[in-house]
Amino acid sequence: MSIFRSEPMKLRSWSPKAASLTWRLYDIQLTTYAILLVLFGLAMAYSNSVGATHTTLSPGSPFVRYLMWTVIAMVVFLVTTMFDYRWLRTFAWPIYLVNVALLVVTLRLGSSTGNAGTSARWIVVAGFGVQFSELAKILMIIVFAGFLATRQAKINSVWTVIGAIIVLGPPWILVMLQPDLGTSLVLVGTLVGMLFMSGASLRWLGTLAMSVAAAIPLVWANLLHPYQRARLLALLNQGQDPRGSGYQLLQAKTAVNAGGPWGVGLTNGTVRMPAQETDFVWGVLAEELGFFGSMVVMVLFVALLWRLLVCSWRSGDQFAMLVGCGLASMILFQVFVNVGMVIGLMPITGIPLPFITYGGASLVSVMGGLGVLQSTNLRRERPAW
Amino acid sequence: MSVRIEQPSVTIRNAYRFGSFGLAIIVAVAALGARMFDLQVMQGQQGTQVSQEQSSETTSVPSSRGLIYDSTNKLLVTNIPNFIIQIVPHDLPMADKPVVVQRLASLLKVDPVTIDQDLDSATGSFYDPVVVATNVDTDVARIVDENRDSLPGVQVLSRPLRQYTSGPLFGEILGYTAPITSEPSAADKQAGYSVGDIDGKAGLELEYESLLRGTYGQQTVALDANGQPIPGLTTEITQPVPGSSLTLSISSKEQALAQKALAWGLAAAHVQMGVIIVENPQNGEILAMVSLPGYDDNIFAQGLSQADYLKMLNDPTLPLINKAVSEQYAPGSTYKLVTGTAGLEDKKITATSTLLSQPYVIIAGEKFKEWNNLGWGPLNIIMGLAHSSDTFFYQLAQSVGLDSLTYWAKQYGFGAPTGVDLPNEAAGIVPDDQWKTVALGSKMYPGEEAQAGIGQGYDAATPLQLLNAYCALANGGNLWKPHVVASVTAPDGTVTPVQPELIRNLGASPQNLETMRLGTRAVVTSRHTYNLVELPIAVAGKTGTAEYGVKDRLGRLPYHEWFVGYTNADPHNADFSGTSSQLAVLVFTYGADTWGDVSTEIVKYYMWLHYNLRGNALNQRTAGHINTWAFKRTNFAGTANNH
Repeated sequence: MSIFRSEPMKLRSWSPKAASLTWRLYDIQLTTYAILLVLFGLAMAYSNSVGATHTTLSPGSPFVRYLMWTVIAMVVFLVTTMFDYRWLRTFAWPIYLVNVALLVVTLRLGSSTGNAGTSARWIVVAGFGVQFSELAKILMIIVFAGFLATRQAKINSVWTVIGAIIVLGPPWILVMLQPDLGTSLVLVGTLVGMLFMSGASLRWLGTLAMSVAAAIPLVWANLLHPYQRARLLALLNQGQDPRGSGYQLLQAKTAVNAGGPWGVGLTNGTVRMPAQETDFVWGVLAEELGFFGSMVVMVLFVALLWRLLVCSWRSGDQFAMLVGCGLASMILFQVFVNVGMVIGLMPITGIPLPFITYGGASLVSVMGGLGVLQSTNLRRERPAW
Repeated sequence: MSVRIEQPSVTIRNAYRFGSFGLAIIVAVAALGARMFDLQVMQGQQGTQVSQEQSSETTSVPSSRGLIYDSTNKLLVTNIPNFIIQIVPHDLPMADKPVVVQRLASLLKVDPVTIDQDLDSATGSFYDPVVVATNVDTDVARIVDENRDSLPGVQVLSRPLRQYTSGPLFGEILGYTAPITSEPSAADKQAGYSVGDIDGKAGLELEYESLLRGTYGQQTVALDANGQPIPGLTTEITQPVPGSSLTLSISSKEQALAQKALAWGLAAAHVQMGVIIVENPQNGEILAMVSLPGYDDNIFAQGLSQADYLKMLNDPTLPLINKAVSEQYAPGSTYKLVTGTAGLEDKKITATSTLLSQPYVIIAGEKFKEWNNLGWGPLNIIMGLAHSSDTFFYQLAQSVGLDSLTYWAKQYGFGAPTGVDLPNEAAGIVPDDQWKTVALGSKMYPGEEAQAGIGQGYDAATPLQLLNAYCALANGGNLWKPHVVASVTAPDGTVTPVQPELIRNLGASPQNLETMRLGTRAVVTSRHTYNLVELPIAVAGKTGTAEYGVKDRLGRLPYHEWFVGYTNADPHNADFSGTSSQLAVLVFTYGADTWGDVSTEIVKYYMWLHYNLRGNALNQRTAGHINTWAFKRTNFAGTANNH
């Protein structure tokens, strides 16, 4: 099928440019915002390590592990920055296959996580639990960017939308089988954002949205696990079931309430929440740093998204632009759903808050993605303005 | 120099779409910010308390229950690790129930149907845990606990089991524990008890419950959304204090000897129920106490089915009851101790004065027969005891009167619990006018008064009361409170010995008690107890036969048999005018309608075992043939008992 045609390799276009990298094209703001967000993440990990039990830091505590992951993420960030992003475009399809293979491995070997039911989301690598579904989010951005860039000429065709869905299919199903509703939603959200930004036909996107809406009852009845349904229902009946699924919501809202305008101070939070190191970390942040602290973090996210859009706008080619837009879509989607979940605007799904959530794979993936974007900055053809 | 990309590089930067995306960011963040503002600034600080309550609960931390040792520090009761698995129905979503039950059943290797039945048959609140498995191995419990994420509502609790290392040997003494199944009373709650706690139900486990239990600690546990404790988020409020340990005055060896003697006698005579108690008359320490048939405490520790429990409960041989302290029987001729002491003290008789024993005496127009229908002619008190002459004591009881009889009975400890450290002690009955008026609505008749003088009629005593009374006789007049626990060891290692406690001094003159002791020795030397005198040691004691129940078609009543005896500190010393005795033994056999006096033979066998008399010629000849030896020598056709 022609829609899956790979970009032919052209040696000339690969000529290494590292020697004359234009470092003034490096987006220092983007990196700054990312690092500030990581610092907030470290603060939350510290609070969750020390505040909960008021014990001293131990080598296995979230803080220490988060610190180790930060180091790894920074290395990955530097490496991806140096790496010529055009190789990624060339190897988009092998990357896709590797991604699918990793998800299959996760499904076969993964161990269960915390929240509900049997699930296979984690692979233990050298003592670290790694969620390859986090990596899949970034890899799929690269795959989608590669795919949509090749479709550039026929971007308005319905086959662009259909092709994208077919590409999404295998990893999406593998993620759903884990089962990981959160990641599968992020994949869909990212793809929708990228399709939109690539200039795909709004008519077909609208048609797609409506067919998804029509499919919801079927998915509800057949694909969702009981715990997932319970979580969605709990959103609709908050406070009905203070010890069941509604409990998580109540606790999170109570924590946010308890924060007040100025917060109770780092490590002083008292409201215990389920998964408060990971998916519900926003609750801890809101309680301890209060409304103003939360807004600082929120503004940092907005600034980061703004820089992502700016980088995309300036980028020299379609692939680079789409990587930037994909990252922006993914981060926006995750921030909105995660924070919305904690404050009761969205149902409970296992979606991490980028940078802040204590989760190594998530941090490394996002930093890797930002590194790719910086790589496009360094290698763009001409200044945008 | 820059490299140009061959492909027509038309980056479609759609400004409208970038604008829309920017707008989406602003709208999304504005929505989140508005909601945050509402929650934190407008409704800020609300509900903090509510969340605290919901997210944590205070639970008790069980303390390690105290151990029990015998007098040689052999461990009798210990705790072994054990786990129970329970399900809180509320935390188990209906949709997940089949899967969870199936999964749990395969881990526990049981039929899922049984778990389903347990769950479905549970009454009470949805929050009340339903126990689906007890006696779960450590390994299995660990696996279930590790998988608790996939087993919502399932809880694993550590419930150490009591292990009774000697099995049934100390059955009724040690008793057993059971978990509290229904809401405890207000007083118990105050003491820190809650459903599921281990509680002593019988024996020492019940009597020393508060000491053995120690003090439960308290901790605050943070709960996750499933109501499961979050590991690592527990805060200890108070530490549990382990229970104290008990050391008995009984040694396993002595208990085993007593048990062996009693079991042999009951089997040989085809008697079902019996009691043997050994006590040190000098301080009230119980040295052995066996009540047969008994039970193995471990069957309770390991869980007993309701049917099996009811069967034991309704068993006419009362296996669940410590018959040494909780049942009372007519003491029969052993009660002549009271009548004799009363007569001597009231100076109705002296050690040498005689009363005429005769085939019968007539009291209030009614014939009261001598037990051998003949009498022995004139008897002094010593020989009256020796022959256990009924007519002698009828007359004596008549002359001392009911008030004096009652007084001396109560001085000897009859009619009131001894205060032994075992639960459910019976008080016994000393019939006087007041008692009979309350119990039966009329005063005592003269005939009943005479009956009371020989331990028949309304008299009732527990085996322990009777033994304790004879201990007071043997030690020269001190009635000690019997006890089975010799010392209590606190968790910090402090040993508190149980001090002997004097209930009262009898107030009888030493000469009169000496006379009574000589009388009890004469019981043995006169061969009233047949071949007991042939033991190479000197035993004094008193037999008793107490009729009870309904006459058979030949007009005979079934009867219990008693023997209570004691030795001097030097068992070969046959002079019982002293008060050195350190060993008193009582044997009671219920419904012992047999030839010969079973109880006497059991005491004899016990003495033989206790003093390790194996080297003696008599016993060499009979070793291994004790069964036939005992009963051939006591066969006494015509009168099956010897009063």
